[in-house]
Amino acid sequence: MSSAEASATVGALGAGDAAASEPPVPPAVRRLRRGGMASLFASETATLFRRWRTWAMLASLGLIPILIAIAIRIAGPSGPGRGPAFLDQVAGNGLFVGMTALVVATPLFLPLTIAVVSGDAIAGEASHGTLRYLLIAPAGRLRLLAVKYAVAAVFCLAAALTVIVVGTLIGWALFPIGPVTLLSGGQIPVGEGLLRLLAIGAYVAVSMLGLSAIGLLASTLTVVPVGAMAATAILAVVAQIVGAIPQLEWVHPFLFSDRWFDFDDLLRSPPSWESFGDNALLQAAWIAVFGGLAAWRFATRDILS
Amino acid sequence: MSPRRTGPSRFRARTVVPAIGVPVAIALAILVPMQANASVDLPDKTPEELVAFAKAGDVDALSGTIEQRSELGLPDLGTLMGGGASGANDSEADAAASDTLGELVSLATGSFDANVYLDSDHARLQVLDRMAERNVYLSPGEAWFVDSETQTATRLGVADDADVEGLEAELDRLADEARAEAEAGLPDGEQLPTPQQLLDRALDRLDETTAVSVGTDGRVAGRDAYELVLEPRTDETLVGEIRVAIDGENGAALAASVTARGADAPAFETGFTDVSFAAPDPAVFAFEPSDAFAVEEEALPLPTVDELRQWIADAQARAESEADATADLPRPIVHGQGWATVVELDAATVAEMTAGHRAGGGDSADADGADSVAPATEPPFAEGEALDLLGALTTPVDGGRALQTSLMSVLFTDDGRVFAGSVPVDALVAYAESGR
Amino acid sequence: MSDLAIQTHGLTKRFRAQVAVDGIDLAVPRGSVFGFLGPNGSGKTTTIRMLLGLVGATAGTARVLGTDMPKGLDDVLPRVGALVEGPAFAPFLSGAANLARFDAADRHASPSTRGRRVAEALDRVGLSHAARKKAGAYSLGMKQRLGLANALLMPRDLLVLDEPTNGLDPQGTREVRSLIRSFAADGTTVFVSSHLLAEVEQLCTHVGVMSAGRLVAQGTLDEFRRSGASRVEVLTPDPDAARAVLARIGLVTDAAAAAPVEAAASAGDGDALVTAALSDDRAPGGRAADDPAADQPAAEAVVAALVRDGVRVRGFAIRRTSLEQRFVELTGEGFDVVG
Repeated sequence: MSSAEASATVGALGAGDAAASEPPVPPAVRRLRRGGMASLFASETATLFRRWRTWAMLASLGLIPILIAIAIRIAGPSGPGRGPAFLDQVAGNGLFVGMTALVVATPLFLPLTIAVVSGDAIAGEASHGTLRYLLIAPAGRLRLLAVKYAVAAVFCLAAALTVIVVGTLIGWALFPIGPVTLLSGGQIPVGEGLLRLLAIGAYVAVSMLGLSAIGLLASTLTVVPVGAMAATAILAVVAQIVGAIPQLEWVHPFLFSDRWFDFDDLLRSPPSWESFGDNALLQAAWIAVFGGLAAWRFATRDILS
Repeated sequence: MSPRRTGPSRFRARTVVPAIGVPVAIALAILVPMQANASVDLPDKTPEELVAFAKAGDVDALSGTIEQRSELGLPDLGTLMGGGASGANDSEADAAASDTLGELVSLATGSFDANVYLDSDHARLQVLDRMAERNVYLSPGEAWFVDSETQTATRLGVADDADVEGLEAELDRLADEARAEAEAGLPDGEQLPTPQQLLDRALDRLDETTAVSVGTDGRVAGRDAYELVLEPRTDETLVGEIRVAIDGENGAALAASVTARGADAPAFETGFTDVSFAAPDPAVFAFEPSDAFAVEEEALPLPTVDELRQWIADAQARAESEADATADLPRPIVHGQGWATVVELDAATVAEMTAGHRAGGGDSADADGADSVAPATEPPFAEGEALDLLGALTTPVDGGRALQTSLMSVLFTDDGRVFAGSVPVDALVAYAESGR
Repeated sequence: MSDLAIQTHGLTKRFRAQVAVDGIDLAVPRGSVFGFLGPNGSGKTTTIRMLLGLVGATAGTARVLGTDMPKGLDDVLPRVGALVEGPAFAPFLSGAANLARFDAADRHASPSTRGRRVAEALDRVGLSHAARKKAGAYSLGMKQRLGLANALLMPRDLLVLDEPTNGLDPQGTREVRSLIRSFAADGTTVFVSSHLLAEVEQLCTHVGVMSAGRLVAQGTLDEFRRSGASRVEVLTPDPDAARAVLARIGLVTDAAAAAPVEAAASAGDGDALVTAALSDDRAPGGRAADDPAADQPAAEAVVAALVRDGVRVRGFAIRRTSLEQRFVELTGEGFDVVG
């Protein structure tokens, strides 16, 4: 039920992304392409969600909030300042399950699934041999790349929403639900709290867009999807390690992972959307650079698979 | 048959767009922030004019984001002090008080990003930590310190039995008395100096120790700003220069930095990255602690009118007796002057202070803090584990152990004295030896 | 030049140091069934990939359906159905879903008719019963047919089929061949690559032969049967005189044929076998060699000349080499003759 909702919302947003991330083409060609883009995007999105693997990854992401909720339910509330952020709030308010799960999932599990989907985007087709048939259909190389990226973006949103929706449901089932305590010390009503939770989901989804672009580039560099996935996942970890080394502070603002956790600004009073914008800008820069490199590479590459 | 060789050029359009697009994107990413530092040219001001301008600034409302970066070479003092206090068997309230103090100290010396909100009655400092937040709310009659990490909201309020009005009246009376006294002391016909005259005198005095100049105009937080540069005239101090950015429009201080002598980058800088001088939404000052937070009450140690009078009498008595027997009194001894001032606390004072600190009473800690030059560096070394920490932080020198940061040195002598100042450790050691 | 469905000039592909396709000049007439023959690794698939814009040419030009490729890729490819280097599908999707997916990638294909066209294509290759089955569970032959169905999703002017009968059982092979004939009957140009000589012989009107990256021959199948395939065999006790006569009337006697002559001589009674190629065009350029009779003496004229000069002709034959021998000559490699 939750997933159906998720993919419906996702579709609308993803389509916007597709248009935005479409590389520049001459106007005459663009007009021609408009019609077919949505059709291919719908088809590729459906293909993604018809894969057993996609659901397995979403299920494993959904397992995170479930495990957290059950652990707290059995072991009792944890003290303040221990464990992942918000863990101490879970026992008092089930709405924090999803939030805690996002904090837990963001460094590794989420990037891992994103790496699988984005690394598979082109390399997976190449390894199946379907890439050549998509291209002679003809899908158009840049059009296919843009659609594949948009589908990866849809997955980013689906992944973040899965964690939040499953977390909220399990939190609702196991714990009391009440006004949400903000970091600033005040509290907001449940409805507003849910809205902020959704905004955080959107924030996390946007956070993963830069990594998706990296995965897309990796995906155009090889015909072995596992290689592209592994390279992307490793980069996600390396970026966070670099981000933790103070001596490399000058490089931190450029890391795609630099603002992954700044969604806490949405839990302040007053909520600050500035970090949402900054993060979107940072991700956009990564999309521009790595998407551009992927487009350049994919447009000129010989398809031998 | 076709004369056109389409083969090699086949990918041209597809290649060229990204090939040009990518470098352009990178160039933009680098150039756009640089453009923000485009040259600024404000009307010239002399240092005196600039100081007067800054002083005359009447900003009573703003909201902005402060970025403070400190590379003093100090450990996180907040944790250090908090840890020391909670390690002891203090009552919870005392631990909390000590934590609060530690937090405030770390706010003063640490690195953080914070939002600042200010209007005529309220102020709020919102320190933005990762997945956490510390807040200081100030409003008439009450103050909150809120820490999301520990889920506590500490209300600093005036004790119920405090006679605030009486105290205010007493202070007004004392001020009037002082003014009358000062005017009586003046030569005939002269009034108290105007603020401008006071400023001039202060500048004259400052000029003896410090070269004051106006630096290059620049942009701070998107606003055109003057830069006031203070350079100590002595090279005995560790401080190289202090720069203060002053808003070109309303004279508000927008940024400040302290650079150690010989260093390239400031050891301490704080400033707005974003600022607006419009009154913030009053909602940002409203604070109602969440049900999930532990609320603690802490009374501000306001003296009663009688106590205040007693203090003043004590101080006067001390000032009078100072002429007779200086050395006997437990109070800081000052060596040197200006930037190279070194404060010495003798063994008795140190013992008294640590005793007071160990007791954990908020009043004694605060009072001592006000006297001491560097409360931040005053370690709670009565505790065993704190002693270990002290050992780890300091390096052995002749006659004791020293803590050296880029802007300040502290010497703990073996015989229990403490020397502190913005001077090299060698200078402290020299004072310690000469005073023995 | 709209009478050619595919036309290349000096089309070359170099992978680092290795030349995969070396300056080939293909000419595939519209409406033909063009057999693109060559051993594995001779550059057939690379050529097809260049024609379809999957691989960029190092040099040379290609026109497909009268449009420069790959510039006109987006306009041309919707009219081209192709099977390249075996069929390929997402194994987790059903056969029908796979076809629908490829169809969605073609922006000229209408989504509203997609379901019908997919069903028709599946029906045409006899896969309707397996439409809902996951492609991963298909047999090799079913995949091959699904690949053909993909090429038939839209009305096509040109079908490029790379080894279309690979992996099919004899029955499937027959079905595919009759399918190809039916396309040709509809006027569709079919460019079919194969390493199976029999397949080409049965299906094709035209042939091109690749060897080590070069197009060593192309033309109609009949031209191939004729060109360079006939040789004169003269059984005579006067081999030297016979050679002299044959040389005089413009035939090149075959020194290599001496071996069978020795064998024949030892076996027989002093007779020797003198052979000569009837055509001196060893590598017919297809269309250039379509009139071999013009500069060649007729068979009876050869006999007459021999007899006139007193050569005792005890046996005379015009031998036509089989296609297989011809291809072996051209490529230096054997073919699988059986289909």
